[in-house]
Amino acid sequence: MTRYVINRLVQIVVILFMILTILFVLFRLAPGDPVARMVDPNMTPEDAARLIAQLGLDLPIWRQYLTYLGNCLTGNFGHSFHYGLPVLEIIGQRLPNTILLFSTGVLLSAVAGIAWGKLAAWNKGKATDLWLTVASLITHTLFLPWLALLLIWVFGYKLDWFPINGMISDEVWLDPDSGVLLKAWDVAYHMILPLGTLFIMHFGAYLLVMRSSMLETLKEDYIITARAKGLTEKAIRNHHAAPNAWLPVVTSVGLSLAFSINGGALTETVFSWPGIGRELVFAVSQNDYPLAQASFLLVASVVLISNLVVDVLYAYLDPRIRY
Amino acid sequence: MALLEVNHLSIGYQTAKGLLRAVDDVSFAVDAGQSLGLVGESGCGKTTIGMALMGLLPPNGSIVGGNVVLDGQDLSGLDEADLRQRRWRDIAMIFQAAMNALNPVQRVGEQIVEAILTHKPELEREEALHQVEGLYQLVGLPVGRMHDFPHQYSGGMKQRAVIAMALALNPKVIIADEPTTALDVIVQDQILKETKELQKEFNIAIIFISHDISIVSEVCEMIGVMYAGQMVERGTTREVLGQPRHPYTQALLNSFPALGGPRRPLRPIPGEPPLLIGRRFGCRFCDRCPVPASSCKLEPPELVQVGETHFVRCDNV
Ligand SMILES: Nc1ncnc2c1ncn2[C@@H]1O[C@H](COP(=O)(O)OP(=O)(O)O)[C@@H](O)[C@H]1O
Ligand code: SF4
Ligand SMILES: [Mg+2]
Repeated sequence: MTRYVINRLVQIVVILFMILTILFVLFRLAPGDPVARMVDPNMTPEDAARLIAQLGLDLPIWRQYLTYLGNCLTGNFGHSFHYGLPVLEIIGQRLPNTILLFSTGVLLSAVAGIAWGKLAAWNKGKATDLWLTVASLITHTLFLPWLALLLIWVFGYKLDWFPINGMISDEVWLDPDSGVLLKAWDVAYHMILPLGTLFIMHFGAYLLVMRSSMLETLKEDYIITARAKGLTEKAIRNHHAAPNAWLPVVTSVGLSLAFSINGGALTETVFSWPGIGRELVFAVSQNDYPLAQASFLLVASVVLISNLVVDVLYAYLDPRIRY
Repeated sequence: MALLEVNHLSIGYQTAKGLLRAVDDVSFAVDAGQSLGLVGESGCGKTTIGMALMGLLPPNGSIVGGNVVLDGQDLSGLDEADLRQRRWRDIAMIFQAAMNALNPVQRVGEQIVEAILTHKPELEREEALHQVEGLYQLVGLPVGRMHDFPHQYSGGMKQRAVIAMALALNPKVIIADEPTTALDVIVQDQILKETKELQKEFNIAIIFISHDISIVSEVCEMIGVMYAGQMVERGTTREVLGQPRHPYTQALLNSFPALGGPRRPLRPIPGEPPLLIGRRFGCRFCDRCPVPASSCKLEPPELVQVGETHFVRCDNV
């Protein structure tokens, strides 16, 4: 196992290196003047000259490549054109917001989807199954911005139960007397509508995967053994069917968690959630290359590492898998 | 009264094409410590009988006639909770496809512990584990392998583990459905011999299901030959093998090599068993029977007694 993990880590490093190279090629060797692309047009000539020197844009291409690798390895991703702040600082601010919202969303919808999928499979063909399956299919095919706006309109505007955008209320966070709990509650309160949107959009996929996996599992011989042993239906479902059925679901939850750091540009935009997904789209549309480059790299690393984590977790859940 | 009595048992499956009569008017009785072999081609209803005895017919299957009496109690009168409590404690089963009978993500010993604790919740886990150790020794498995997962076992070991599991609650009856079909001949021989010894030691009644009449005749003292859902011949092994009276039994004996018997050419039985859906007239074997009488196609033959415990369902005896 240790050897396997080390091998995979080496692979990850190699792939990241390839991604770095591709990004370099994309950003430098595209047609047009690289200096104009890499240097913010609004800069003073002195700043521009400093940046050109720092990026090595006046050097031959292979020297540029080495400088670029060196910068990336030392975590020096430069300054955002738009914000004028170090790229890492911006990412450091946005990323936790995204992770908070989307991981919670994935976990909640996965837990509910798995539990309901189990229930649906167990009651196959009955009303419970029908309702759950139909609900999953409908919610899963909804158009996200439409759902988000609907929720905002009903619960934010008409009923006025929840804030309609943002992550915090200034009056809470600027008040020096606000305790940690109050601030946490404030964030949770702002999270309810976007979380609700994510939940409604995503529980159906987990439900359907779990349901069909569970139905497959229920045909297995060891389920008959369990029944023959005189176990209760509940014990069969929870100790024999489910632990086998959720193996394929684990992969899908793990990968969704990984991609959740991408955030969802749509969700973040509709709810004005200050996350990385919105920032990435913004960076690309504003030609903010340093920010875009670093964000891409970050997303790639997280996806690669989560893949590894999912594989290791899978081996832990399924003793037949040994690396 | 025998320990287990099956009286005129008929079982049907609801299918898209109509009721499939998988088992039709089957009767037999087994006493403690006795062994009965159910033998016949694939699809003749052997597994269906086993599942009915366990009360585990699939949702589309049901007993449409007759009953099963265990220890004087009619099992069809029991509700699901009662049945569940009797499963494994009174009747255990060694499944066909024992290779997949163990849960792949649970440790093997744990699966036996689970059977014990389900029926004896008052036991400490330690005590149950200790019992599993004893069972492992009994069936010749290394105790150290208790905490392995099924995929770490060989086919023979899995089969032994399943046997250990069947013995866990000291049941009165064990149904063994093609228990050794997936194993190679040497392991198969060993396991059969050991199973027989254990059965005698613990005075368990065993119903041994196989398509191979030579294996059945080695293990069992009584044989019931099944054809197309009916039991066409039943008697002691000596009676059935010594004087097979039903043409199907004779054909079956010719189609398997007799263990230790004289060498003779093997003859497969030509033709196919009949469909089990819809109305049928006459003897079910008449299409394949080498010696049919003219009456055979008209009236279904009755079970006739031809020896002390020897019965045959054929008009031509
Ligand atoms: N769940 C089921 N639904 C419909 N028909 C079934 C089902 N299980 C078995 N059968 C049919 O019942 C007959 C007896 O099957 P089975 O008891 O498995 O035979 P055996 O164990 O002797 O091979 C076969 O014709 C089979 O196709
Ligand atoms: S009843 Fe007739 S057809 Fe059927 S087995 Fe006997 S002889 Fe053959
Ligand atoms: Mg069978």
